[in-house]
Amino acid sequence: MKIIKYSLVFLFLSPLHAEINETILIKNATAMTAMKSGTLQNTDILIVDGLIAKIGQNLDFENAIVFDATNHFVTPGLIAPHSMIGLQEIELEAETRDDSTDYFSSGFSIVDAYNPSSALIPHNRTGGITTAIVTPSSGHHVFSGMASVFKLDGKLTEESIGQDIAMVMSFGGSEDSRASQMLLIKDGFIKAKNYHKSRSQIMRGGYFDFGYYTPRDLEAILRVVNKEIPLIVRTDRARDILRMIAFSNSHEIDIILAGAKEAWRIADKIALESIPVILDPMDNIPSSFDSIAARMDNASILNNAGVKILITSQSTHNSYLSRQGAGNAVAYGLSEEDALKALTINVASVFGLDERIGTLEVGKDADLLIWDGHPLEVSSFTKKIYIDGKEISTVTRSQRLRDRYLKKLGLD
Amino acid sequence: MKNIPENKVSNVLIILLLLIHTQLAYGESESELINQVYQSTYKPDTSPRILIKNATILTGTGELLENSSILIDSNRIVSIGNDDTNNAEIIDAKGKWITPGIIDIHSHMGVYPAPSLRGNSDGNEATNPVTPHVWAEHSVWTQDPQFTLALKGGITTFHVLPGSANLFGGRGVTLKNTRSVTVQGMKFPNAPYTLKMACGENPKRVYGNRDSEPSTRMGNVAGYREAWIDAQSYMQAKALSEKLSDEEESDQEQELFKRDLKMETLSGVLKGEILIQNHCYRGEEMAVMIDIAKEFNYRVTTFHHAIEAYKVADLLADNGVCAAMWADWWGFKNEAYDMVWENVAMVDQAVNGTGCAIVHSDSAVGIQHLNQEASKALSAGLRAGLEISKARAIQWITLNPAKALGISDQVGSLEVGKMADLVIWDGDPFSTFSKAEKVFIDGHLSFDATKKNGFIRTDFDLGIINPEGDRL
Repeated sequence: MKIIKYSLVFLFLSPLHAEINETILIKNATAMTAMKSGTLQNTDILIVDGLIAKIGQNLDFENAIVFDATNHFVTPGLIAPHSMIGLQEIELEAETRDDSTDYFSSGFSIVDAYNPSSALIPHNRTGGITTAIVTPSSGHHVFSGMASVFKLDGKLTEESIGQDIAMVMSFGGSEDSRASQMLLIKDGFIKAKNYHKSRSQIMRGGYFDFGYYTPRDLEAILRVVNKEIPLIVRTDRARDILRMIAFSNSHEIDIILAGAKEAWRIADKIALESIPVILDPMDNIPSSFDSIAARMDNASILNNAGVKILITSQSTHNSYLSRQGAGNAVAYGLSEEDALKALTINVASVFGLDERIGTLEVGKDADLLIWDGHPLEVSSFTKKIYIDGKEISTVTRSQRLRDRYLKKLGLD
Repeated sequence: MKNIPENKVSNVLIILLLLIHTQLAYGESESELINQVYQSTYKPDTSPRILIKNATILTGTGELLENSSILIDSNRIVSIGNDDTNNAEIIDAKGKWITPGIIDIHSHMGVYPAPSLRGNSDGNEATNPVTPHVWAEHSVWTQDPQFTLALKGGITTFHVLPGSANLFGGRGVTLKNTRSVTVQGMKFPNAPYTLKMACGENPKRVYGNRDSEPSTRMGNVAGYREAWIDAQSYMQAKALSEKLSDEEESDQEQELFKRDLKMETLSGVLKGEILIQNHCYRGEEMAVMIDIAKEFNYRVTTFHHAIEAYKVADLLADNGVCAAMWADWWGFKNEAYDMVWENVAMVDQAVNGTGCAIVHSDSAVGIQHLNQEASKALSAGLRAGLEISKARAIQWITLNPAKALGISDQVGSLEVGKMADLVIWDGDPFSTFSKAEKVFIDGHLSFDATKKNGFIRTDFDLGIINPEGDRL
């Protein structure tokens, strides 16, 4: 029965999803590589067996499907560094959301909640996102849980390409003092280390004060302690960033900043500590006393100080608008090349995915996009999308609705 | 840019007394009295004569003029395409674009200011579903730092609405993006009042969660109709009372007619003096709201957040109702699920291009980049095969919102005699990479990106990060 179901699904999803790796040759593109090589004019890209096989000029390959990309830009697929794609359908409808937990904290894994049939997936894929770092939302605890990585090809059988690859926490203004939050964080780390030492006794029924944590949560924190995974810290205030840097140094862990609206004030310090920053360049509202110093050139100040920046959108539904943020960062001083890196390779390298994705580079997964204009312009859109060397339809539910009503209005 | 000194309490009192006296003496209507008492005190100084030349001009009237010029003087637009340099300061705008000042028809700046604190969260009087008696202008905090951020994005006029918790949320106010301690000093002179109404999920969620009416969409509709019936009765009773007081001698005893602030706003709508700005997402609800307007003989000026306007674009065009839309927001609640990227373009093109499309922000971030929002909406329309020019699309954030706010005789396009509100962009305003370089309001250079102190900071921005510096 199951086999029949799946084969029906494949039939329904059109031949584009067939399990045959076709050879594809993209000709005459303006290729933005997200590497030192920068932007290559008049370039051909050959895709064989789901990987980028060759990049060069005047490439040829027998029986390849050829797309003439003259006057088109090609970029690597964009990677959403911090979204809840696959975890929520309608923000205000709790039962359509799976991004937070009342029971766990640091040990919460979102992997089992991911919905590859969400309408957000084709929507954001058509916007240019081919891979998403899927994170839990801030819940009842300072620790929110762990992030996992999914490619957005929408297959029902899709598995995470990086399960529980980072832990997420928040630190800043709330009902509870931030000093109290820091104690909770410190307690978690101390408990995790003690738990590790006395694990065998605990297994034999020995007493252990878990406090606000479950064994699962402490096991997860141990992975951060052992530097197996980094800790994403959602925080905005410059002083809070400094406190978290001090904390990370005292425990010798890796952290990634997210939000970081005041990070520009301590750009040199963040650069010195080699801490990556996930940010939305357009988020310049001093929306609380944690982000009074928010400004439009946060991204370029950090980047130009040597900080690795990862550009996100604040909206999960429109995660692809990270591209608009990157374009605005360019308007406020970031180079186009660095803006593209902030949407691609910087995300891949920070999350350990750079062996596979993030650049137009021979040997990498053929996750790439053909654009009808400059990829950082809001007026541009994807024309073709490839994930693992397969062309994926650009059709979205939005376009189906559009076409129905264009016809009804006599505008088709 | 300087404003006439204000806040002279004694002057205000004298004017008030004079007005009351005038009213008693000449029998002016109460609504006229109210308009006079609460009227704008914004009066810009006389602005210099400035010729901006060699620019690409999107006039807002549907034209694109290449390599053209615009002359402004004494707060007004004097000529377009005429290089009369006589006594004028000259700005060479070669390679630059000029648009009318950008207008956002849907903002909560000032009533939901930054930083977002309980102490200044004043946008929703969510204590009763029918609050047409509250006025957004009485909540506006004039030192909201979001105002200057919007100015940097080319916003010269914006409309502040109450929130959408209520069926009738209260009166909206149109403000000029000028710095003033008083809200009266920001009010757009003689702009009509508006009334915020809200369809759909928000009222039914807010009151349904309290087990009170409305808790359903049908409860919403009953609520609107009951209020309009009340307003009709009120108008009849008031007319009768006025008739009686005309007939009877003034020294005779008569029952005093008590003004009702809720009913004053609603009757202002029924008299055509107050414009309806109706938060409404779904196609079927827009159609119902148009029916209600017909039942009580008023007009809906604009549906706001009209995610599904494309589904009823012909109905909107046929009824002369504008739709104010986002380029791409969706999914934050169920009624926002059926978004299409082409919504704005489809509304614009409906019924042989007679639709009235507006791009709005409802966001302190979005308002800073309304040109980019228009660009996204335009490019989506072009991809769908609709033929729309930039010259037309710029109207989505200039002339069309001006019309829907009843101020298009003053702003919204670059035409001789209109207020000299305009933006010089450092490139094509439909490009992500372009920024507003100079913003003029009533002929005064209100923002200049080429100068560090090229704008007036709000009180909030002073010394807030460190005592000796400014926030921006």
